[in-house]
Amino acid sequence: MRGRRTAAAIAGLAVLAAACSAPGTSPTATAQFTTFEQVLDQAKGQTVNLYAYGGDQGANRYIDEVLAVKARGLGITVHRVPVDATTTAMQKLLGDKQAGKTSGGGVDLVWVNGENFRTGKQAALWDCGWTDLLPNGRYVNWADPEIANDFGTPVNKCEAPWSRAQFAFVYDSARVSQPPRTVPALLDWIRAHPGRFTYPAPPDFTGSVFTRQVFYATSGGYTTIPTGYDHDAYQRLSPALWSALRGIAPSLWRSGTTYPTSSAQLNTLYGNGEVDFTMTYGPAEIDALVANGTYPATTKAYTLDDGSIGNTAYLAIPANAANKAAAIAVANLELSPEQQLAKAQPTPWGVYPAIDLTRTDASWQQKFADLPRSAHVPPFAELSRHSLPELQANWTTPLDDGWRQEVLPR
Amino acid sequence: MAPGSAAAVTVPAPIAGHTSNVRGTGRARVAVALLTPALVVVLGLFGGGLALAVAQSLGAAPVTGDGTLSLSSYTTVLRDPEFVSSVLTSLWIAAASTLLALALGTAAALTLRSSAAVSRGLALLQAALPVPHLVGAIAFSLALADSGLLSRLANVAGLAGTPADFPALVQDPHALGIILTYAWKETPFVAVVALSALGPRIREYETMARTLAAGPGARLRHVTLPLLAPALLAAGMLVFAFTFGAYEVPALLGRSYPEALPVLAYRGFSAVELDARPAGLAVAVLISVVGALATVGYGVAARILATRTSW
Repeated sequence: MRGRRTAAAIAGLAVLAAACSAPGTSPTATAQFTTFEQVLDQAKGQTVNLYAYGGDQGANRYIDEVLAVKARGLGITVHRVPVDATTTAMQKLLGDKQAGKTSGGGVDLVWVNGENFRTGKQAALWDCGWTDLLPNGRYVNWADPEIANDFGTPVNKCEAPWSRAQFAFVYDSARVSQPPRTVPALLDWIRAHPGRFTYPAPPDFTGSVFTRQVFYATSGGYTTIPTGYDHDAYQRLSPALWSALRGIAPSLWRSGTTYPTSSAQLNTLYGNGEVDFTMTYGPAEIDALVANGTYPATTKAYTLDDGSIGNTAYLAIPANAANKAAAIAVANLELSPEQQLAKAQPTPWGVYPAIDLTRTDASWQQKFADLPRSAHVPPFAELSRHSLPELQANWTTPLDDGWRQEVLPR
Repeated sequence: MAPGSAAAVTVPAPIAGHTSNVRGTGRARVAVALLTPALVVVLGLFGGGLALAVAQSLGAAPVTGDGTLSLSSYTTVLRDPEFVSSVLTSLWIAAASTLLALALGTAAALTLRSSAAVSRGLALLQAALPVPHLVGAIAFSLALADSGLLSRLANVAGLAGTPADFPALVQDPHALGIILTYAWKETPFVAVVALSALGPRIREYETMARTLAAGPGARLRHVTLPLLAPALLAAGMLVFAFTFGAYEVPALLGRSYPEALPVLAYRGFSAVELDARPAGLAVAVLISVVGALATVGYGVAARILATRTSW
């Protein structure tokens, strides 16, 4: 009998607790704040849970040793939550949404772009409009199509730019004296050097960019491909891509019978000398990898003359974030010339600025010009000389699925 | 010496499970009370997760779906040749790992039992038990890769020139790297289970068989293994269900095609396109179905064994 009464009491408590914590919906940032001073006021004492891809040691060190220290000056604690892929953060947000958790969410800020940003927009996971509050937004050229569109998805004030990336090939100059300068030349090089090249299997992010880079070339250039996905264009243009990729397959690592399942695996193959090339969206990481002995000292990065895909990484705030004020304050902090320069320093990270340098004053421009030159990576101006925008994110999945059906051996 | 004489000594064996029925129901109540906290956690967390997975695999996705339930993700998955090859891959990995672990684990237990260093051997076996599968998989990838430790040793010994000359042991067509990792990880588990089953009772029967002139081979075949069988069957079922459904080892050491079922499920679940999630969850639910079938098969096999050993 006593057992039953206890059970009833617990059940009653549970109902009470549920009633007390019944969630209200988080107000949007624009409904909460009209000035940045209000944001800073409320941000004091808050902790920002920043969800960031954890596989980049440089990024991890930058967040922990530079950004977190700087944010402490504003009374904000930055708590970095490493994820294996941004989709993990997206799963959490979607889980919250499905559970009806519309406030007090555990994710305050997400390092995001491309397909994940689009997915979040589809499911209305982001808080929008807050980028107008950022004083440092004045350094951003919001009209630049590579800023205003995230893989073709309009940004619509739902995220603030953070850094720029440029897809580059990486090779060992001790083994490859004259690296191929165009996609057709690269395909020829692969056929002439069996077993010395491979790429990660899409949907790995890097493998996916590699197939798009080849897609641009086999389609006769970026401009011949409709920016948004178009089924007819896919039917017309993709067969040339598949036949090119099938054509090199027998000359790839393991004769193309299998592919690295992640870019980390490809980097390991390169570091161990099993292949002569790797590829990366963050060429600035190479200096650190050479310095710690992961890559040979003769490693060099370059981009192809017929174009290299570039994109922008952003910081986005989930609609149910618990600490929006601090998240906005951090996003603003990250757009300052000082932080953009710190981020561009080869140690700890070395990633390219997302702000328009011509909007900063001459002394800042000089500091960016004085960034140390790398022995392994050309300066950003050279890397991005032939920069090509990404296709819209809705191309990614058809191309990834098509690759699995047409190229992956069965 | 004659096999016939050994068979004659396998006298009726008391079956442990049959003795407890005579005790009162008070004990059963205590057992239920003691099990309740664990059952609440298992049924609440695991059962709840499973129920959610079933619901979402049927299309119940509050964010993206229109809420109508259908089996369409299951028909899509079952018709996909990629799914079929993943099923075969996972069955191969699980069956080969289980048999290898059973053979090695039993052999280790039998060797250790008659060795003086039994406690030291047991400690060695148990040292491998708490190592996470993920760590084991990474260690094996460092050792077995084309440019791994073994390959480098082979190179020093003049056996292999370039990394490409070394036989493919990770991401290889026969999933050898995955099977070896599982065998390494599960063998101690089987050995510990077998060692604890090799109690004084079995020793008595073995001695009896020996006095009746059964040789070591005959004793093993007709006395020891039949008496160990229930414990080995249980351990084998656990290893099979685990290796069939575990993600991390095939994710690290597997090929891009065909993928083990859990890798296929996770790729669907984590796809950027939200409408690929139900299919990924359908694969996950089907993995659970196979796990449940393995449990049912275990129950049937255990009953057959019980009737066979309790003449």
